[in-house]
Amino acid sequence: MKLIYSYLQKFLPDLSIEPQKLRDDLNMIGHFTNFYNTIPLLKGDQGGFDYVFDLDIKVNRGDCLGYYGLAKDLSILYNIPLVLPQNFSYPNSNYTLPIKVDTTNVIRVMAVKIVHLKNSISPDWLQTFLKLHGVNSINTLVDLTNYVMFMYGIPNHAFDTAKSTDNLIWQMNPRYTEFVSLDKTKLTLDQSILMINNPSKALSLSFWGGQACAITETTTDTVVEMAIYNPTTVRQNSRQLKAVTEASIRLEKQLDPELIPVAFNALASLIIKHCGGQVGSQIFDYYPHPALAPVIEFDPKLPSIVSGINIPESFALDIVKKVGSRPDITQEEDLVEEVVRFYGYDKIPTNQPLKYKQLPDITPKVIYLIEQLKDKMVADGYDEVLTWPLVSIPTDPKTVITTQNSINSESIYLRQSLIPSLKAQLDQYNRYKLPGPKFFEIGKIYYLEKGQYIEKFALALYNQNPEKLRRDVPQNVSAKNIKFDDNFAEIILDNLPKPDSYTPIPSDSHAIELTNQIITLDANVISDQSTEVLLKHYQSTIDPNILWQISIADHYQNKYTFHVSYYNCDDKTAKKIHLAVFNLI
Amino acid sequence: MDLNQINKEINNCQTNTELEEIRVKYLGRLGLINQEFSKIKTAANPKAFGQQLNQLKTEVEELIKNQSLIVETSLMTSLPKKENNIFSLPKVGHLHPITQTERQLNEVFRKLGFSIYSGPEIVTDEFNFQRLNVPPNHPARDMQDSIYIKEPDYLLRTQGSTIESQLLVSQKPPIRCAFPCEVFRNEKVNKSNHFVFHHFQAVVVDKGITMKDLIGTMDLMFKTLYGPDVVVRYRCKYYPEVEPGVGPDMQCFNCHGKGCVVCKYAGWIEMGGSGMIHPKVLDMAGIDHHVYSGFAFGMGLDRWAMAQNNITDIRTFMGGNLAYKPNE
Repeated sequence: MKLIYSYLQKFLPDLSIEPQKLRDDLNMIGHFTNFYNTIPLLKGDQGGFDYVFDLDIKVNRGDCLGYYGLAKDLSILYNIPLVLPQNFSYPNSNYTLPIKVDTTNVIRVMAVKIVHLKNSISPDWLQTFLKLHGVNSINTLVDLTNYVMFMYGIPNHAFDTAKSTDNLIWQMNPRYTEFVSLDKTKLTLDQSILMINNPSKALSLSFWGGQACAITETTTDTVVEMAIYNPTTVRQNSRQLKAVTEASIRLEKQLDPELIPVAFNALASLIIKHCGGQVGSQIFDYYPHPALAPVIEFDPKLPSIVSGINIPESFALDIVKKVGSRPDITQEEDLVEEVVRFYGYDKIPTNQPLKYKQLPDITPKVIYLIEQLKDKMVADGYDEVLTWPLVSIPTDPKTVITTQNSINSESIYLRQSLIPSLKAQLDQYNRYKLPGPKFFEIGKIYYLEKGQYIEKFALALYNQNPEKLRRDVPQNVSAKNIKFDDNFAEIILDNLPKPDSYTPIPSDSHAIELTNQIITLDANVISDQSTEVLLKHYQSTIDPNILWQISIADHYQNKYTFHVSYYNCDDKTAKKIHLAVFNLI
Repeated sequence: MDLNQINKEINNCQTNTELEEIRVKYLGRLGLINQEFSKIKTAANPKAFGQQLNQLKTEVEELIKNQSLIVETSLMTSLPKKENNIFSLPKVGHLHPITQTERQLNEVFRKLGFSIYSGPEIVTDEFNFQRLNVPPNHPARDMQDSIYIKEPDYLLRTQGSTIESQLLVSQKPPIRCAFPCEVFRNEKVNKSNHFVFHHFQAVVVDKGITMKDLIGTMDLMFKTLYGPDVVVRYRCKYYPEVEPGVGPDMQCFNCHGKGCVVCKYAGWIEMGGSGMIHPKVLDMAGIDHHVYSGFAFGMGLDRWAMAQNNITDIRTFMGGNLAYKPNE
């Protein structure tokens, strides 16, 4: 959601806060604002700067997908007046629009006919406003409907009545199988789609206008409507048709039907102002079940109790009064959040953590076992790896659990064993020529048993020396819980005896992302120095950023063979350094 | 014996050695409290006298543990990282960075009396969504693309809060649990996204738990992870399972709040989500929200652990080209 400072001032004329402070304050009251851009001032030619904010509005605040909702929040925060444009008074008309609403999915619709208008390309300010909101300019009438949607957060639509007639019907799709949207996208429909039609033509979806009655610069008569629907229906329709529009983003959230008269009034007024024409019908207002604000008992002490700091009761009551009714406020806790966020989360101290309290330890014992085993494996020289729980090939197709909708087509089965994943890990290490890999993983394995989904913890390890592998597996494991496969072993942990406690041992080892193969080279050295001195010497001579490992492969009298592994460099560089270090040039 | 005086003595301790001296003085076999116990037979009301002494003993034990946490935390956060772990494992094999981070966090919470909890990864819609105040068709479901095993009933858990909903129905308050866990999202695997992430979550339910407890505890955790100078702000943030919701943001380590590519010019980096457990969530678990309150918070571990190890590709972390230098 974009927010232009000067347009926010249309609702908050007294707003004069610095843009950076405004961004920080918006963040603190729950409207995450990444950044703002500075642009030339949009209103008039008087120079100066304007600011465009980029906001992430959370799903509970559909009302803030319009400037009006955000302005209302800020008027409370800064204690400045919220100002609405002057009310437009509709002239009398004898004509009643023949609109029907044949579905319970419509919460409220307002509509009016405007005739003899003169449509054209939009004025510059309107084109720029829409461009900054990521919407293409079409013509003045269409652009004004979008402008009002951004300003008030409620989508609306204009029908060219030369094509649509006035006989609009809000209904669940009666028979249409295809719909062509305003941007000429063809959609296949079923009967679950909420539509606006006339008796013979599909005209519009609830959240997307259709080609059949599109407004053009030659349009002279229009029915404009503003509606709010059952948000679940819009959401389901939008997902089913894989179509997301600015309107669907708003209509699938809870919007305030009580705001429609205000926003619709602004729309009609702007159309008459910019396109001329006159009102050609009575206002149609379908609102069968007016929203009743819930009665909420509010204890002004509660914000202090919940926050843990003293928030004056007078402040709490003042905020509750100013916030008034809003679709997302249905219970006392909603009001508590309102009070605390306007009082300021930053007033809650950060240096008073919970104090220790002795409670029974309910840690599942298998967690202690896992931690102990990790320590044992590390002490035995194994590195821990983590692999993907979803795999491409099942170990046993009869018992494998398959995901239904994984978008990663190569990973659709839940692994039944850790060993195939560790084999893939070994392939990786071999590709990078890692000397002497020795590694383990503790993770879940999954399978179906008698229709039940089973998850078990398993330990798997790899050692290129099979004898050492057998020596390193935990010794208290029965044969049925252990599986050997080449140089890999896997143990199911759930059946093992478990310790009653575990004292963690911190570890600070540093992991490295291998980007090149490790180059291992030998060097023969004759020296009367001790092994330790020589190792220390060469270790300090070679840059630690390229030295992976140095060891003595052979030692006889004063003859040494060094085994040196280099990383972070190519073959040529490694050889050059190696020759220089060991004086082999 | 004056508890306030003892509290003062405990608060003055700056090292564990000093604390141990206080412990011996009051709680040792020949300590002052045990000496008081010898007077029980001559007391006017032996039962009440005994109860008072037991309560005093418990309170002194708790005060010492709290101070021990403060002493250790200040040590942990004031020393360079390498110096922290003087009891480190011998440098033979290596723990994965995620395990290392989980252990660091587990330790912070263990010292506050938390148990470490876990739960299944294949879960029902009820526990993953509905019991967290996200009914079917709620738009908040779009925040988490799910991987289904059997749509719409069974899926791979999408958040650590799923364990919370299981925990709340299986345990009676007071509850203090933390759970490192894997969670799954239906996302394409690439350099910065994966379908499996590592989360850490903590849950507390007790009488009188407040936002102050939540924010103070989170701040302690962040200082343990990132050092004493880390700047974290706590702002209003929406999550359906909590209210009021709290979003911790860390001041960008790269630009120190000025705005840069790393923080997408926000100056801040979102660190996770938290808040006071929604009364509906407590009620659905059979916990009376008029009596108990609680908080929950969760954060992702992958990006932190990656940054700590200069890892740029999330795939490296899981079955990739992650390795450890021998003897380091």
